[in-house]
Amino acid sequence: MEFRIDDATRERIEAARELGEREFRPAGLAADRAGAPIPVGDPFFDRSIARGEGRTRWRPPGAATPKARSSSSPSVISNMLVAEELAYWDRGVINAAPGPGLPESNVVSMGTPEQKERYLGPFVDPDQPRWACFAMTEPGAGSDAAAIRTLARKDGDGWILNGAKCFIGGASRSDWILVQATLDPTKGRSAQRAFFVEQGTPGLGGFNIEKKMGLKAYESTSFTLDDVRVPAENLLGGEERYQSSAGFKTAMRTFNAGRPIIAANAVGMARAALDETIRFARERDLLGDSRVRDRIESIARKVRKARLVCLRAGWLAQLERPNIIEASMSKAMAAQIAQESTSAGLEILGADGARGDHLIEKLYRDVKAMDIVEGTGQIQRMIIARSLTGLPR
Amino acid sequence: MFDLEAGDELDLVVETARQWAQSELVPSIRDAESARSVAKGLRETWEEVGLGTLELPPMQGGAGLGCVGRVLVNEELAAGDAGQLLALDSSAPIYSAALEIGGEEAVGELLKLTEQGRLRGILVVAEDAARCDVDESTMTLDVPWVAADAADVVAVLTSDSLLVATSGLVFDPVRGAGFRAAGGAGLRVDGAAIVSRWTNAEGAGRAKARVRLHYASVLLGILRATCEFSNAYAQEREAFGKPIGHHQALAFLITDMRMALEAARGLVHEAAWRVDAGLTCSVEAAAAWAECIEIARSIGPNGVQILGGHGFMADYPVEKHMREARALSLLCGGFDAAVEEAGRGLIESSSPLALCSEGGL
Repeated sequence: MEFRIDDATRERIEAARELGEREFRPAGLAADRAGAPIPVGDPFFDRSIARGEGRTRWRPPGAATPKARSSSSPSVISNMLVAEELAYWDRGVINAAPGPGLPESNVVSMGTPEQKERYLGPFVDPDQPRWACFAMTEPGAGSDAAAIRTLARKDGDGWILNGAKCFIGGASRSDWILVQATLDPTKGRSAQRAFFVEQGTPGLGGFNIEKKMGLKAYESTSFTLDDVRVPAENLLGGEERYQSSAGFKTAMRTFNAGRPIIAANAVGMARAALDETIRFARERDLLGDSRVRDRIESIARKVRKARLVCLRAGWLAQLERPNIIEASMSKAMAAQIAQESTSAGLEILGADGARGDHLIEKLYRDVKAMDIVEGTGQIQRMIIARSLTGLPR
Repeated sequence: MFDLEAGDELDLVVETARQWAQSELVPSIRDAESARSVAKGLRETWEEVGLGTLELPPMQGGAGLGCVGRVLVNEELAAGDAGQLLALDSSAPIYSAALEIGGEEAVGELLKLTEQGRLRGILVVAEDAARCDVDESTMTLDVPWVAADAADVVAVLTSDSLLVATSGLVFDPVRGAGFRAAGGAGLRVDGAAIVSRWTNAEGAGRAKARVRLHYASVLLGILRATCEFSNAYAQEREAFGKPIGHHQALAFLITDMRMALEAARGLVHEAAWRVDAGLTCSVEAAAAWAECIEIARSIGPNGVQILGGHGFMADYPVEKHMREARALSLLCGGFDAAVEEAGRGLIESSSPLALCSEGGL
């Protein structure tokens, strides 16, 4: 048993801490005060690109692997700890960052060579900030992804898409959107397909940047697809992939590294609230009060245990061992604890917390999303209970 | 680096403990409780299997598996029956404390006093005593409850010392809220001679951390048994046409119990690892102990709740788990002392959980 982290991860965390303090925290606070996402032309993004961020990990055939990427990929644990550290400084800014984002993994694992070239190629060495996004959520389908209604209909040598999507991160600024649609809403996930829809395609429109309670640094956007026609080659993986029974399920595995990452974000936010609470209590000379100390102890203990549960889930994913229960536990627990942590911090702040200008108050608003995205806490419990108690589907 | 695998050797020991507990302890849970004693011959098989001294250095007859080894094995044994475990292994916390405060020399001396573990010893944490007066050569104690009817050696852990007495020990039997297989008594010591003494404030702090982790891992075992038993019951018992575990209210309750257990286990393991790594561990151990107590408050009663009226009856083990988890939680100063100690330690730092801090994460 070993709880130490390796030197390479340590260096990554230190770099994330420096970046977070210098860039993420100020950008997140500014966006929160402005009540709007960081604008596309903001110098924040130019600096991000100049630092080499916003690039794809995909390499064109025959291309040399950049020196910085020549060593083995960071482990899941390393990525989780960096995710925790960055979220400590600002979770919303993580989502605002340019790059191929959420759909990158799907394109890398399922895309045809032509699709990788066309859609990831511009992210190999971008000369300006570029975004891409994945559109699954709909007004009537959140955690229940099998219930999406956006319809894909074959039309000659192409496809016609109709539907509406919501809460999609960065949709209005994305070069392309990977849209999840269904051939038949009655057939669940087996009938679902993903399509590349490029910005400017006729029928793609109605972009509306939502007003949110928190995480304001990145845009969450709704849009509509009104008879959007895309060519056959825009079907992720190509037609042939779906002739086999595997279909979209090829992306599903017995282990999950996504939920532990979100959970690690929540741990980082909870830790930020803890530190701010201690700072406030120290400044106000409250640490001599056992009631305050006990609250701080309780927060710290819960954050520590959430971190360990997350790392256990991540460790299993790293070993490619089944971790469905652990991944859901990490997500359910960390999000809830993060909410409790920020709430307890506000109670220690007292009326100062109600002024609306304290970081903990922002964190309290930001962190609620962590119990919603990637499946709510209730959905996570259903997933766990199916394994644990045989709860029927 | 980060690795939650116990390792092949320890895995084998843990598996041995699991099998031994299930075959030797589980069948006699109620008999041992009624008899206030383990079955005849069990102590001999316990000594043969060698789990009692596994954290001690090999030179002293142990397996050198440290605090991590101890907590992993304790959970397995306590999941079998914590009452019989405390009867068989009451001296283990003394050796753990001695290792931290006086090193191998202290352990050697204690092994002599207990005749290599054959005599029964018990550890008293000073905070658990109604009265604890110590001078240069004698000790006076009044302890409301120890999980033993009698003992040959009493070790007292104070804030800076470990003190041992072997005479003048008076045990007044009490019924005991739990762990009756180990017996139960109030302990009085009136001016008894201190036969051994080690003083080392830092070591005493680490010793207390280790004792807390010892009991925390026993608590984990009890609570795991509750979770496993009540979940299995929920698969079989039907209400309104389906297993009660298929009703979402109970399914979520069982899920939350399991989540709480996993999380507390993580805290215990990390703190135990810190002990073995020689890192600071008092705050982490106090937090782990506090967390185990906190979850015991919910898992214990909820285990009974899942069984409904059956849970209230002594026919099923969950009522025993509930009683024993509560009683064990009162040791080492209980919840409030643990929270106080962890809290005071935490606020020394402006960012107590920052990554890349000393030693571990």
